[in-house]
Amino acid sequence: MEDNTFDPELIRTIFRLVWERRGAEREKNQFSETEAEVGPSTSKRSRLTSANANALKLSCELLRVFVTEAIQRAATMAEAEGNHIIEASHLERILPQLLLDF
Amino acid sequence: MASDAERVEEEEEESASELLRDRFRLCTIAIAEAEAKQNGMEVSQPIMACISDLAFKYAQQLAKDLELFAQHGGRKSVNMEDVILSAHRNDHLSASLRSFCNDLKAKEPQSDRKRKKNTKKEDKAAADVLHIADP
Repeated sequence: MEDNTFDPELIRTIFRLVWERRGAEREKNQFSETEAEVGPSTSKRSRLTSANANALKLSCELLRVFVTEAIQRAATMAEAEGNHIIEASHLERILPQLLLDF
Repeated sequence: MASDAERVEEEEEESASELLRDRFRLCTIAIAEAEAKQNGMEVSQPIMACISDLAFKYAQQLAKDLELFAQHGGRKSVNMEDVILSAHRNDHLSASLRSFCNDLKAKEPQSDRKRKKNTKKEDKAAADVLHIADP
C-alpha cells in the first residue's frame, strides 16, 4: 500500500516499555500479597511478553489506519464547511465515533 | 533514600517515554500530512499534536490488550491473531487487518515444514471465522 507507515522497531520499543511497566507492577503486587509463597512460577511469570515481527508490522498497520481514518473523517467535516484546513472543531466532531470504531 | 531512588527511576521512565512519544509524533505527522495532501487538505499544528497523542495512547492501550490476549492464550509472545483480535469490534477493520496479515504471510519466505504448519493454522482460523459467521 502506501510507503508511509510506522517503524516496527519504534512500536516494539513502545510496547516493551508498557510491558516492562506492567511486569514491574505485577511483581510488586505479588511481593506484597504473597511474600512467603515464592514458588517456581515467579521466574516464569516475570518473563516479559514479546511480539513477533509480523505481529509488529500488523500493529503498525493498525496504528496507521487509525491516523489516516482520523484525518479522512476530519477532512470530510472540513470539506463540508468549505474549509481547507482541518481545525479543532472538525476533530471534535469525529472523535467519538472514531474512538468507538477502534 | 529509597524514595529518592524511586523518584530517579520514575524520572528516567518519564524521559524514556517522552522520547518515544516524540519519535512517534514524527512518524504520525509524516503519515497524517501525506494523507491530508491526498485529500487536498491542510492540518493545523495543534490538531496534529492532538492526533499523535491519541495514536500514542492508543498504542499503549494496544500493548496492554495484546499482552492480555497472549497471556490468555498461554503464550509469552504476541502473534498476528492477537492483533486481529484487538480489532474484533470493527468488522471492516478486522477484515482489512486479516488481508494485510495474509499478504505478510504470502511474502514471507518459508521452509516447507513451516508452510505446512502455517496452512494448517490458517485453515483453522478460516474455519473459526466461518463458525462465527453463521449463527
